[in-house]
Amino acid sequence: MDNQEKQFRLNVTRRHFLTKAGLGFGSAALGSMLFKDQLFGSSDVQSLPLGVAQFAPKAKRIIYLFQNGAPSQLETFDYKPLLNKMHGEELPASIRMGQRLTGMTANQEKFPLVGSTFGFSQHGKSGAWISSLFPNMASIADDICIVKTMNTEAINHDPALTFFQTGAQQGNRPSMGAWMSYGLGSENANLPAYTVLLSRGRGNGQGVYSKLWTNGFLDSQHQGVVFSSGEDPVLYLKNPEGQDRTSRRDMLDELAKFNASSFENFGDPEINARIKQYEMSYRMQSAVPELTDLSKETDATIKMYGPDCIVPGTYAANCLLARKLSESGVRFVQLYHQGWDTHGNLANDMTMQAEDVDRASAALVKDLKQRGLLDETLVIWGGEFGRTNYCQGKIDPVNYGRDHHPKCFSIWMAGGGIKPGMVYGETDEFGYNVVKDPVSVHDFHATVLHLMGINHEMLTYKHLGRRYRLTDIAGQVVNSIIA
Amino acid sequence: MLRQQNVLQNLIIVLQVILIFFCFVDLSGLPQWVLFTGRLHPVVLHLPITLTLLLIPASLIVQHHPENKLLKDYTDALIHYNALLATLTALAGFLLAANGGYEKDLLSNHKWLGVGVAFISHGLIYLNKLKIKFILWNGAVITSALLILFGSHLGGSLTHGEDFLAFTSEKKQSILIPSITENTTILQGAIQPVLNAKCISCHNDQKAKGGLNMKDINSMLKGGKTGALWVSGDPEKSLMIERMLLDLDDKNHMPPKGKAQLSSVEIAIFKEWIHKGASPKLTFHALADQDTLRKLITKLIESLPKAETIKEYNFKSASSKTIEKLNNPFRHIYSFANNSPALIVEFYLKEKYGHASLQELKDISDQIIQLSLAGMPADDQSFDIISGFSHLEKLNLNATSITGKGIDKLRSCKQLEQVSVANTSLGYDEISSLASIPSIKKLFVWKTKLKIEEIESLRKKFPKIQWDNGYIPDKNELLKLTPPILDDLEKRIYGPDELIRLKHPMPGVKIRYTTDGSNPDSASSTLYTEPIKVLGLMRLRAIATSDGWLTSDTTDNSFFQRSFKPDSAILLHQPDPKYSALGAKSLTDELKGNSPNLSVNWLGYKDSTFKAGFYFYQDKEMKEIIVSVVENIDQYVFPPVKITVKGGDSPKKMTILGTVMPEQPTKNGRKHIIPVHIPISPKKFRYIEIEAIPVAKMPKWHPGAGDKGWVFVDEVFFY
Repeated sequence: MDNQEKQFRLNVTRRHFLTKAGLGFGSAALGSMLFKDQLFGSSDVQSLPLGVAQFAPKAKRIIYLFQNGAPSQLETFDYKPLLNKMHGEELPASIRMGQRLTGMTANQEKFPLVGSTFGFSQHGKSGAWISSLFPNMASIADDICIVKTMNTEAINHDPALTFFQTGAQQGNRPSMGAWMSYGLGSENANLPAYTVLLSRGRGNGQGVYSKLWTNGFLDSQHQGVVFSSGEDPVLYLKNPEGQDRTSRRDMLDELAKFNASSFENFGDPEINARIKQYEMSYRMQSAVPELTDLSKETDATIKMYGPDCIVPGTYAANCLLARKLSESGVRFVQLYHQGWDTHGNLANDMTMQAEDVDRASAALVKDLKQRGLLDETLVIWGGEFGRTNYCQGKIDPVNYGRDHHPKCFSIWMAGGGIKPGMVYGETDEFGYNVVKDPVSVHDFHATVLHLMGINHEMLTYKHLGRRYRLTDIAGQVVNSIIA
Repeated sequence: MLRQQNVLQNLIIVLQVILIFFCFVDLSGLPQWVLFTGRLHPVVLHLPITLTLLLIPASLIVQHHPENKLLKDYTDALIHYNALLATLTALAGFLLAANGGYEKDLLSNHKWLGVGVAFISHGLIYLNKLKIKFILWNGAVITSALLILFGSHLGGSLTHGEDFLAFTSEKKQSILIPSITENTTILQGAIQPVLNAKCISCHNDQKAKGGLNMKDINSMLKGGKTGALWVSGDPEKSLMIERMLLDLDDKNHMPPKGKAQLSSVEIAIFKEWIHKGASPKLTFHALADQDTLRKLITKLIESLPKAETIKEYNFKSASSKTIEKLNNPFRHIYSFANNSPALIVEFYLKEKYGHASLQELKDISDQIIQLSLAGMPADDQSFDIISGFSHLEKLNLNATSITGKGIDKLRSCKQLEQVSVANTSLGYDEISSLASIPSIKKLFVWKTKLKIEEIESLRKKFPKIQWDNGYIPDKNELLKLTPPILDDLEKRIYGPDELIRLKHPMPGVKIRYTTDGSNPDSASSTLYTEPIKVLGLMRLRAIATSDGWLTSDTTDNSFFQRSFKPDSAILLHQPDPKYSALGAKSLTDELKGNSPNLSVNWLGYKDSTFKAGFYFYQDKEMKEIIVSVVENIDQYVFPPVKITVKGGDSPKKMTILGTVMPEQPTKNGRKHIIPVHIPISPKKFRYIEIEAIPVAKMPKWHPGAGDKGWVFVDEVFFY
C-alpha cells in the first residue's frame, strides 16, 4: 500500500508539476527529503523485505486445528482432582476474584464446582496428564508441547475467536494467515498461501464467519481461501463445459489486458490483486485435483486418520487434506471444527467431539513426522477460551455443563521448532487462575511469528495513519517452549 | 555590522520555519545523508550553551558600561550568533533523534526544551532592540540560561543514561551463559554468570562494597566485613542466601532495592549449589539427569531470550538475477532468511517436472541448503546433480521415482544431515549406503522396501542416526466403518421411475439394508447390488461391512412415494414466525426438512395448533394420508399428541375421517422424522382439513417440564 501511494504520487502530469513547482523549489526539495524513496531509492529501516523470513525460521508452514466453541481444559489436558473431591461445593470467592461472567451464568445463584467425569492418566516422558477421551493424542505426548496457561480477554465466542485469529476483538484486522501470506509470501505459487477448511461435529456448535480469515486492510490476495466441504473442494475451478485449457488461457490473457488498462486508469491496487487471483486459479486447475482426490488413499492412511477421512467435509478428511496442502507448500492451513460449546450435556457432547477429532489430529502429527516434515511444520490444536470449573445449570449425577472461561485454558503445539514432549505453565488447583507462566493470545502470536522467522514487532502495515501489527502493542515470545 | 546582522536574522527566520516543520513531521523517512548531519548535534550543542551562559556576564558588563560602544557591538553579535547556533543545534537534534534508539519521554522533553531555547534566543534579538528595563532583560537571559541548562541535562541523560549523574549508577547487565558441556563447572556455567550480571557491579576489584569482591571464587571465599558468604552444605545458615531472602525494604537486602533483583530460580540455584557444598569443582557431569540443580539451571537458560540470529552461512550468495531467472511457479527458489546466502528449492506440479529442471540449478549449486523433490518423477540420474550441491543439509525425496542406484554419490554433500525417502522403492542396500554417509543424522524411511527386521538391524548398525519408519497399522485394532451414503442427500420423495442409490467411499465395502424397519445385520440382510425402488412409505436402514473393519452405524431414512398433490393449500393457523418456511406451499413442495436443523422447510407451532386445509379439484380416490412430523427433544419438539383429519366437499361440509395419537417419547432419544399414517376409507374428497395438537405440558424428565412443547410439520402426503 505504501508503494501504491508513492506510485500514485509519482503519477504527475505536466500541469500538475508546474502547479507544484509554483510553490517553489524549496518546498520541492523538502518534499524530496520527505518522500525520498521516490528519488533516492529505498533504505527505510521500517519497511522490511516481504516474502522472506527476517531471521532463521524454525517452521515454514502452519496447520492450525482450531477447536471452535472452546473445548474444556478440565476434560482435556488440565487435570484437577480437587474438583472431583469438592464436587458440588461452592466455588470460593477468593478464587473467582470478581471475574466477569457471561450472561448465561451471571445470574446463577450458586457456582457448584464440578469434577471431570473422564479419567486422566499420565503419558510420555514429560508425564503429561491427558484425559481418557483422547487416547490417540496421548500416544503423541512425546511430540507435543501442552500449554496449560493460555488466557484471553474475551468471554464470548465471536470476540474470542476474532481475537485469536486477528489479534483484536473487533474484527477489522487481518487474520494470522493473512499476515503470514503478507510477510512470507507463498511457497507454492499454484496454491493460495492461506486456505481454510471447515467441519462440524455433533456437539453444540457455534458459527464461523468469513471475517475470521479476512485480509483486513492487507491486499485481498492474502485472504484465506475456503475449500468447500463438498466433493468439489474448490468451486468453479473446472473449466466451463466446452472450453479447453488453451481457450481458457486466451480468455485470461485478454482479460488481463483489460484489467491492466483499467489499473492504469484508476490505480486501484485491488485490480492487480484480481489479476493475480485469476492467474493463480488457472494454475490451481492443475494443482488442486491431485490433492483433493480421496479415492487413492491406502488402507494404512485410512486406518491412521480413521475411516471418516475419506468422507469429504469431515474433520478427519480435512486433516488429511491439510497435510497434503501443507506438504504442497501452503503456508497456513486453518481448520475449524465446530461443536465444542458444552454449556450442558458435556459428558455426551465431549465424547462425540473427541471421537471425531482425537484420531485424526494425532494422525496428522504422525503423518508429518514420518515424512520428515514435522520439524518444519507447526501444528496447533486448541480453542478460543476455556470452560468454567463450576457447573452451568444443575449438577446431574451423570451430566453437567460448563460456561466460558477466559482465565486459563490448554492448547497444544507440535513440530516447527516447538520443544517436543513438554507441559508449560501451571494453573491453580481449581483450574481457574494461572499460577505460573501465563501465555496471552498476543504472546502466542509473537511466538508463532518467531518460529516462522518473523519478529512480531517488525511485521507491520501502515493503515489509517499508523502502523499495525498482529500483536498490536503487546506480545512476548515464550522462549521456554522453543526448541 | 548591521547588514551582517540582518542577514543572520533572516537566516534564523528561515531555519526556524524549518524547525517548526520538523516538530510535526516524521523525519525517519529522510535520506541517510541528511540524517547523518544530525550527528553534528553533539558537536554544535556546546556552543549555544557557552554563548547563552556568556550572555549573563556580558549583559551585566554592558549595563555597567553603557558608554562602551565596542562592548555593545560584541554583545549584539553574541546574541545573534547564539540564536543561530541554538537553532542549528535544535535542527541537528531532530535529525539525530530520527535515527531512533532513544528513550521516548526523555527525548520528547529534551526536544521541546531545545525548541524553546531556540525560540527564546531568537526572541532575545528583538528584546535587545527594544529599550527595555535591565531587570526584564536580565530575567529573559537567566530564563534562557536555565532552560538550556535543564535541556542539556536531559540531553546528557539521553546519551549517557538517566542514572549518569546518580552516584550509584551501574549499567544493567544481562546474564551471559557460556556454552555448557558436561565438563563445565556449575560455578562457570551458572553461578558466576548470575553474579556478573547482578552483583559484581558493587563487589569488584575497584569497588568492593562491604569489603566483598565477587569477581571469582577465591575472592568470594574471603568473604566480606560481615563474614563468610556461605556455609558449605547449609544454605539456611549462609549469609549470602539470608541477604537475598530479606524483605526488599530491609536495608540489608541484596541486591539493594532499585537494582535488578534475583529471580526465584536464580536464588534456588545458589541455594542448591551451596547445599551441594558450593564446590568450585562441581561439574554438570556429576549431576544426575533428574537432579534439582540441573533442572533449575536448564530452566534459567530456557527463560533467557534467544538470539534472533541468522544462522551463519559463510559462502558467497548467488546473484539475484540468477535466482530470479531460475524461479518459476513450478520451481520455487527462496532465501533461507533475509540477507542469508543460503537457498531453499522446492518443486511443484509433477507434470511440469523434467530432469532439466534439476540440471538448471547448477548455477546455484553452492547455495542450496534444502531441496525438496517430493512427489516429482525424479529418478536416479538426479543424484548426479544433487551430489554437486556442496552445502545441502536437507533433502526430501519422498514419493519420487528413485530406486537408489548411485545414491552413494550424495557422499560428496559434506553437510547433508537429513534425507527423507518415504514412499520410494529403496531397499536395504541403498538405505544402508545412504546411512553410511558420515554427516547423516536423520533418515525417514517410512513406506520403503525395508522390512521391520531390516530397520532394526540398521538402527543397531547406525545408532547415531535418528530413524523414522513411520506409522504401522495395528492389525488387532478394529475401527468402525463410516455408514453408507445416499447418492442424493436431500431427496426423500421419489416418483415411480426414480431409484435410491447408496454408495460408500471405501472400495470393497459391502452395503446391506432393510426396508421393513428392522435392524440390518451383516449376514442376512439384503446386499445392496442395485438401486432401490420406493413403494409407498419406506424406511431404509443400511449398514456398511468389510473384512478387517467393524460394521458401520446404521443409516436410517424414510422415503416417500410421490403422492397426488392438492390443487391448493392454506394455513388456518399461522406458524411461529421463526419457523414459517414458505407457508402453506411448504407442505406440498416435496422438500423435506431434516431432523437436527429445524429452521429450513419446517413449519413450527407452539402457541396454536397446526391446522391446514387442502383443496382437490381432480377426481381421485384417497385412501391414506401421511403427516410428516419430527421428534427433536433437545429443541423441545415432540410428536403431536393428536392428529385429526376431517374431509368433505367444502370446509362447511366435513366429517371426521380419522384421528391418530402418535406415541410420545419417554426419554431423550434420537432426533428423527416420524411419518404419521392416517388410513381413511377410500373416497373422493374436495377438501381435507388436518389439525395437529402440540404437547400442552412437557413431561417431568424434560428440562422444560410443564411448559408447552412444539410441533413441527414439513410435508403432508395424500395417497
